[in-house]
Amino acid sequence: MHEMTGGADPVLRVSGLRKTYGVVRAVDDVSFTLDKGRSLGVVGESGSGKTTTARIIVGLEHADTGQVAVAGRDRTESRRHGRAERLRRAREVQMVFQDPFLSLDPRIPVGTALRETLRLHFPRRDGAARVAELLDQVGLGERAAAALPRELSGGQRQRVAIARALAVEPAVLVLDEAVAALDVSVQAQILNLLADIREQTGIGYLFITHDLGVVRCVTDDVVVMWRGAIVERGPTERVLAAPEHPYTRLLLDSVPRPGWDPGRVAADRRALASTAAPSPSSPDHRKS
Amino acid sequence: MSAATHVLEIDGLTLRLPRTARPVLDGVDLTVGASEIVALVGESGSGKSMTLRTALGLLPRQAAVGGSVRVAGEDVLTMTPARLRDLRAGTASMIFQDPRAAINPLRRLGDFLTESARINGGAGGERAVVRARHLLAAVGLTDRVLSQYPHELSGGMLQRIMIASALMNDPGLLLCDEPTTALDVTTQAEIVALLADLRNTFGTGMLFVTHDLGLAAAISDRVFVMYAGRIVEHGPAGSLFGAPRHPYTAALLDSTPRLEAPSERLAAIPGQPPDLRAPLSGCPFAARCAYAIERCRAERPEPENGVACHRAGELVLATVREGDRPRA
Ligand SMILES: Nc1ncnc2c1ncn2[C@@H]1O[C@H](COP(=O)(O)OP(=O)(O)O)[C@@H](O)[C@H]1O
Ligand code: SF4
Ligand SMILES: [Mg+2]
Repeated sequence: MHEMTGGADPVLRVSGLRKTYGVVRAVDDVSFTLDKGRSLGVVGESGSGKTTTARIIVGLEHADTGQVAVAGRDRTESRRHGRAERLRRAREVQMVFQDPFLSLDPRIPVGTALRETLRLHFPRRDGAARVAELLDQVGLGERAAAALPRELSGGQRQRVAIARALAVEPAVLVLDEAVAALDVSVQAQILNLLADIREQTGIGYLFITHDLGVVRCVTDDVVVMWRGAIVERGPTERVLAAPEHPYTRLLLDSVPRPGWDPGRVAADRRALASTAAPSPSSPDHRKS
Repeated sequence: MSAATHVLEIDGLTLRLPRTARPVLDGVDLTVGASEIVALVGESGSGKSMTLRTALGLLPRQAAVGGSVRVAGEDVLTMTPARLRDLRAGTASMIFQDPRAAINPLRRLGDFLTESARINGGAGGERAVVRARHLLAAVGLTDRVLSQYPHELSGGMLQRIMIASALMNDPGLLLCDEPTTALDVTTQAEIVALLADLRNTFGTGMLFVTHDLGLAAAISDRVFVMYAGRIVEHGPAGSLFGAPRHPYTAALLDSTPRLEAPSERLAAIPGQPPDLRAPLSGCPFAARCAYAIERCRAERPEPENGVACHRAGELVLATVREGDRPRA
């Protein structure tokens, strides 16, 4: 059965991460844990530090200080970058991005790309059977194997990206705004697919999104980031129903709904910006 | 409403492109009144932006167009190039999703704001600056930005500049193409509050394209739902989302992850919207519709009382999350 968050041996443990770019504290003392088979949401506006945190966890970025451990094994300490070590790390954590087009080679058919990933990590296994299995797992027919990325729709490409991430059988999947670019009807298909995969494989998700409806739908727990730091955390139900931090309340009030008063949200936003302790973070409104 | 009070009136608009098997826009009827905010919703590729652009006479090359598009009573599709320029400079203007892409990064924002007014012979130099200052105040910015460059401003502030620029020549019609999609939700609220204020202050009619149904419900007076180039349902925002009559509208609502809903599986719509390269007969939604019958595949449903569905009269669209819709 699922352990509670903060259990004895989480599959992912992030402690005291810090990262500064010049004077900007992009990530400011971020700690959390993800237990096996659980889904943890990370919400906050662009520039709040979500993506930088994710990139450090995956290994695309180095933290100034702090640790990332997967299944108890530290990923930040060792700077050995041998091939075997790189592959081993890749098998721990995989990442799916917002735009799958950028992470897929446009000239390589989907099936071939999956075969290559498999050959790299599991040279002795039967690739063909596994490719078929992966395509099936993400709801793509075997015909998709022959397709080039551009011949697929946005939703299908995101399925391919998920299949490729799953190919190495990671313990943790980091999804950075992975459904943000999809239309709602396709987004719902992908969210349901991700729920099925988690149920079948016991994989853990770190689910980065700005959409609180999505958080509600696919996460057990959530952390709220603001200006590089975590300002609130807890079970998703509780945080969304009874937010404690003013920034979490502002995020919730910003969601358009019946009786929505955008004027009040705008006023609250200004109030929060002016009462909050001055932060070295620059106002940055780039999206993810 | 009589034609005189419509700032935009689209009638039977059909648009075909070369090498496609069906029209991109297929008999679109849509109106926007003065001081009215109308939302146009639908999935990507359904034809929302194309519809918006025809209101400025911005047609793709080699497009074959039928029907009429009147802005302030005048048909855009038959305008001379000179008249079109006047239209775009005065009567109607447009704001886009990505303000950074639409503003020259090398020029001061003051020049950006006043240059369209000067080029188009609207307000002259001095008057343009006065107007720019007035509008900057209206969008909540100070004169300081006049001497700043785009990179010095956040996305939300730049979108305010875009809006101020779009209002320079006091248009009766503002066309908004996903103007808040690239912004954070808290910034989105600010921009939406601003647009609602401007509508009240200047009486501007707005056509607001979005894929966010919650946003459409929250800001608009009326909503048009588009699928495969056709308007499948339209009506007042409250009743359309509270009691949808077209299966596609209901399905869109059900597939949207909601804050208030129980966190269970979403009711995804199977399949994908139809490809432009494949011909369509009958109802464009038939392949994905849970209520489709034989007739749906054979015969095109014509709009009747704001809904284009053969079964609109008999269906009671019970949905998985009854009572949990925007403005239910
Ligand atoms: N390579 C970089 N160089 C300088 N600043 C950066 C870099 N990457 C991120 N930042 C800054 O770090 C902060 C956090 O950014 P990011 O991690 O992208 O947040 P999010 O994912 O929530 O949008 C922002 O202020 C951003 O401008
Ligand atoms: S006409 Fe038929 S297929 Fe089309 S929406 Fe109505 S019931 Fe569904
Ligand atoms: Mg990000």
